[in-house]
Amino acid sequence: MSFLKRFPPPAEGVRHQQPDTEAVLAGRGLGAGTLYIAESRLSWLDNSGLGFSLDYPTISLHAVSRDLNAYPWEHLYVMVNAKFEEDDAKEAPMAEGEEEEDDSDDDIEPIAEFRFVPSDKSALEAMFSAMCECQALHPDPEDEDSDNDYEGEEYDVEAHDGMEVDIAPAVAGQFEDAEVDH
Amino acid sequence: MEVSHSIKERTIAENSLVILLQGLHGQVTTVDLRDESTATGRITNVDAFMNVRLAEVTFTDRQGTVSHLDELFVTGRNVRYVHIPDEVDIRATIERQLQAIHRVRFFGGRDKGRKEFPRAKHK
Repeated sequence: MSFLKRFPPPAEGVRHQQPDTEAVLAGRGLGAGTLYIAESRLSWLDNSGLGFSLDYPTISLHAVSRDLNAYPWEHLYVMVNAKFEEDDAKEAPMAEGEEEEDDSDDDIEPIAEFRFVPSDKSALEAMFSAMCECQALHPDPEDEDSDNDYEGEEYDVEAHDGMEVDIAPAVAGQFEDAEVDH
Repeated sequence: MEVSHSIKERTIAENSLVILLQGLHGQVTTVDLRDESTATGRITNVDAFMNVRLAEVTFTDRQGTVSHLDELFVTGRNVRYVHIPDEVDIRATIERQLQAIHRVRFFGGRDKGRKEFPRAKHK
């Protein structure tokens, strides 16, 4: 797997760590290792120290799957909006086209499906929740549709104690000339 | 009635239709994802960024394969549509959520507690 690299496990902001967890990419097992659910990124390292990291903004969704008809082991499913090449040109092609399998219909959107299978199935809840928390720390910076641009002061309630923050009247006043016809 | 603990998130929710989705906690709902897969399950949480957490999910991937997931978290960015159940009274849901936010905001009475906004001059 050419995308596997050697790096030290994350030391800070690790919300959950799950040893003895197999990583599977697009149906191919990568071996046993430890999953680190850290605030900055999701990392997995096999027992020899090789692994990969996923950035939360690239993760579309994650889930707990206990449906043994869909996949024979209970696991944490993670869908990533990125391409993971299993082999680069140097190596003999193994399951060639395997990474294409899932997105043959869709040239626009690269998708990689990871499954993390812990030997301790009871840890899945904690793994899922830790990921939800970390994901929430990385809101979509490209979200331009929403009017999330509020003039700063109303967040700093403590700092502006006693000071008039004149926001609400402006907002309420917006509709003063609206037709009240209902 | 679940209201975010974050002032920023309450402000965002109050000023967008995310507040409607937050009012759907506990309802079985179908979410269409950006990649054309769909997830039907019970909403357990929606945050201000429209990240949706569902339980007891029937997930249909973009190839049409159906599987069941105990819990699913979809990032807001990947939500295309949320099918509001027919039986939901949309206006009442929004008003209920706004009331919940205002109760948190004015905790302690009109002139006590933290003020996120001064009292509105107009109702």
